[in-house]
Amino acid sequence: MNTEFMFFIQLVVSGIALGCLYALIAVGFVLILKATGIMNFAQGEVIMLSAFICYFLVTTFHVPFLVAVLLTGIIAGLMGIVTERLILRPMLGEPIFSVVMVTIGLSIFLRSMAGILFGHNNLVFPSPFPTEAVKMGGIVVSQTEIWIMLSSLVLAAVFFIFFKYSRMGLAMRGTADHQDVALLMGISVKQVFALIWAVSFITAAASGVFLANVMVINLGLSVVAIGAFPAIVLGGLESIPGAIVGGLAIGIIENLAGGYLDQIIGGGVKDVTPFVVLFLVLMIRPYGLFGKKEIERV
Amino acid sequence: MAIRSKTFSESYHEDIKLFRTIWLKSWIGLFLVVLAVLPLIGDPYIVYLINLSCIATIAALGLNILTGFTGQISLGHAAFFAIGAYATAIISNRFQVPFWVCLPASGVLAACAGIFVGIPCLRLKGLYLAMATMSFGVVVEYVVITWDNVTKGVRGISVPTLSIFGYPLDSNNKIYYFLIVLTALAILSAANLMRTRVGRAFIAIRDRDIAASVMGVNLTQYKVMAFAISSFYAGIAGGLYAYVMEYIHPEHFTFLLSVQYLAMIIIGGLGSVLGSVFGAVFITIIPEFIKAFAQFLTLLFPALQDKYDDGWNIAAFGLLIMLFLIFEPKGLSGIWNRIKTCFKNWPYTY
Amino acid sequence: MEFKKMKTVLTITALICLLVSPAFAERGVTEDTIKVGLILVKTGPVAALGLPDGHGMVDYMKYLNDQGGVHGRKVQVIWEDDEFQAPKSVAALKKLIHRDKVLCLITTGGSNQTIANMKTINKYKISNIPNALMQEFFDPYQPYIFAMGATYECQYQCIVDYIFGDMKADKPRIGVLYAKKEYGKIGLKAIRERAKAYGVDLVSELVLPTGAVDASSQVLTLQKNKVDYVITCDVLPPVISFLKTAEKYSYKPKAVFGFNWATDDMIVKACGKGAENYIGVNFVGGWNDDSPGMKLVRQIAKTNGREVKDIGLTSLYIHGIGASYLFGEAFKRVGKDLNPDSLKAAFETFKDFDTGGIFPPLTYTDKSHAPPEMVKLFKADVPNNRLVSITGWRTPKKMD
Repeated sequence: MNTEFMFFIQLVVSGIALGCLYALIAVGFVLILKATGIMNFAQGEVIMLSAFICYFLVTTFHVPFLVAVLLTGIIAGLMGIVTERLILRPMLGEPIFSVVMVTIGLSIFLRSMAGILFGHNNLVFPSPFPTEAVKMGGIVVSQTEIWIMLSSLVLAAVFFIFFKYSRMGLAMRGTADHQDVALLMGISVKQVFALIWAVSFITAAASGVFLANVMVINLGLSVVAIGAFPAIVLGGLESIPGAIVGGLAIGIIENLAGGYLDQIIGGGVKDVTPFVVLFLVLMIRPYGLFGKKEIERV
Repeated sequence: MAIRSKTFSESYHEDIKLFRTIWLKSWIGLFLVVLAVLPLIGDPYIVYLINLSCIATIAALGLNILTGFTGQISLGHAAFFAIGAYATAIISNRFQVPFWVCLPASGVLAACAGIFVGIPCLRLKGLYLAMATMSFGVVVEYVVITWDNVTKGVRGISVPTLSIFGYPLDSNNKIYYFLIVLTALAILSAANLMRTRVGRAFIAIRDRDIAASVMGVNLTQYKVMAFAISSFYAGIAGGLYAYVMEYIHPEHFTFLLSVQYLAMIIIGGLGSVLGSVFGAVFITIIPEFIKAFAQFLTLLFPALQDKYDDGWNIAAFGLLIMLFLIFEPKGLSGIWNRIKTCFKNWPYTY
Repeated sequence: MEFKKMKTVLTITALICLLVSPAFAERGVTEDTIKVGLILVKTGPVAALGLPDGHGMVDYMKYLNDQGGVHGRKVQVIWEDDEFQAPKSVAALKKLIHRDKVLCLITTGGSNQTIANMKTINKYKISNIPNALMQEFFDPYQPYIFAMGATYECQYQCIVDYIFGDMKADKPRIGVLYAKKEYGKIGLKAIRERAKAYGVDLVSELVLPTGAVDASSQVLTLQKNKVDYVITCDVLPPVISFLKTAEKYSYKPKAVFGFNWATDDMIVKACGKGAENYIGVNFVGGWNDDSPGMKLVRQIAKTNGREVKDIGLTSLYIHGIGASYLFGEAFKRVGKDLNPDSLKAAFETFKDFDTGGIFPPLTYTDKSHAPPEMVKLFKADVPNNRLVSITGWRTPKKMD
């Protein structure tokens, strides 16, 4: 029983680490979705670009890791502001479909630019975290994973405080709630939007840096963002706590499916299970677990 | 007698006519003639690109009926396309039946899948619906790969040559006419569909579903119908794709293909039949144009030769999509309409 | 009457078309150039595989031109990007044939793309060396496809032979990690059958997705099932992911095996100590081999200013050079009268042709274009960040 049980716990623990990554990615999506109603399809590319930027800062420019992370965050934030200003601002008030399509165009553009700027080779990040794993009562957790979990926790707390107490955070929530009313209350919606994009891109950069530590860095990194889609929907598109819970849930579900179902059904159910869960959840709760239930009056 | 403007309707019947002016008819006639002689003067490369555009047009029409006209976003169109392609491949391989059995069968099978997805998705809207359809796409990909004693899985499956009543269409130039005819049929029937009660019901659902249901539009019935019709188109397009490529593989039908179809209808123009055609042709042919243009540039400025990277082509493509939508969010059909009015009202353009 | 008229019109147009269309034999060859096409992915996530391969092909042709070309002709390579999509690959081939009028293709890229192009290849007699390894390419005989590289079956048979032969494993517990791609499925089947022939069943068969973020569930399952020989049927990034995850859980199987797409110095650079029990097979020589062929490869890389870290996957660069080497040799053997038919005939004169260690010795005849079913095994040399060959060319053992 013991090994069976340990196996289960170990799967859950590594699932949580994976889930934290998904949650981080999902939060990046949800921030923009919540405030502007736009699904940003270029999020994955931002993640990939940040991984590359951090890699080159560390290897080519010999910047210490923490400074490199900080710089990557700043660059990503600037990218967010520029994207908002140049691309999304002109689209204000246009049909949401066209805006989403613009982000798809942006993703195509960014992906090929990444190829041109950074090349197509598989790169391996010189991880600053020691490779020795930490053992706690038979449960193995790598130091990278601990850092991922800790920083996700910190980021979640920061977001919570920011949205609950800070002036700007309140302005963002107000804007998300009702743009016109926010404008009437003297909130600069344009500023809020720019900031939202910046914050979302910074979150993406954080997930990019962590992904760089666990995966090979190449253009394929952007596909990981698609893996976070179930997490977003599970949490209900517009809720940040929802995205975090959704991310964790998907991480654990994926690992458990890999550990148990893959042996029985076979053929890589690990990848498909999150999407099946997503489909089932939507059948029962069409607005996700934490989503806003829209009441339509007739 | 009142002074008539250029297009003047005296009855509702006239108002919803497809080809309203003699000019339009003659332009279309001319266009058809150009299409007919094209394989005789152009090389197979161009003909092949037009073949691909035809297939994309049919699939995009289907997606536009669902997304553009009925307002139901789908990110799983590639799945229906794949079902059609695999149906054609498997049926024609196993039972050696001719195309007029295969193609409708794949359309119907895809439509059934559409109904199967459509019914549970009735309650979903917007992005939730997009995600649900996307997960259907993932599941279909998984099934195609895993169920390999039928679909041949990751080895891919070859498709017998399309033959019409014993006459094999074994080259691109031959299959071209077949595709043109079917595409014309698909465009006509989509345009006609939108003139009927069904089409108007779709549009009513898109604009305000609750109001539509108050006015007596059965939401369940029409939403499912939209799914079925859209998937039928995708299925037919998939079948044709199988015939053109003569070999299909799960990697041909990824999530990116769904995104591509969405791109086609948004760039072409949502809720516009002509827009679907424009979008499909744009997305299929523009990358080749950009490539040719880039080669021309490197010939013109040999200094660019070393700096040149194929990534630029794709970057330019992405940039083009963005610029198009920033300057004309209604898509290509918006531009087309503007040009048309400009000519029609000339010299009094405004 | 109308019908008659139409008939005459059609006949005339057909005649014009025939006159306008250029003669076959002239395609791609002039007094001083040979036009050669190349379809390989240059952009997107898969470009890491396509670029080094293509660079190798182009670099060798450059080298050939610097040596004075072939019989006074310089080779001109036109490289089309297919973005790893079959429809684009088909379009690219049509463009190369009808616009650029190439004589042959060095390669048509992956299996998927080659099969989609098969009919055109036969119709226009496009000799080419696909860089994918599929039975369909030479069995049944395809007149213009020259298969190079041991099939996946052969590679995995050699791996299993190595476990039972060289490592003298007694009742080994073998686990397989495979991708849901054709190489994964073929590999899994080959391993299963081969192990069966030795009287052993596989303990675990798990999927390792190509874009896997981590491989925890796979590693834990293997660990739980006490697997001591892991065979991977997957490309580099997921194998690296796996090795890193295995290191984390201090899971140390006696050996981890990989096939040709995952046998590259890169794996040792990426995983360091995590790769110390890694053994790979490949059908090209190793970058550090001391053979004349590999010396040539290193020299060509140097003259083109490519350092190892710019090349990316060196094994693919070697493959690219090898493929061009074969074409160069065939051009030389044809002599002055170069056309699609004579090119094919020249390839078919190859008999135990020695590439100096780039490829195993290879033979093509007019009945078979099968590749030499020979591989080399490589072991990780962690201190020097590279793989070193531990065997010569070997074939799967004959089983009764």
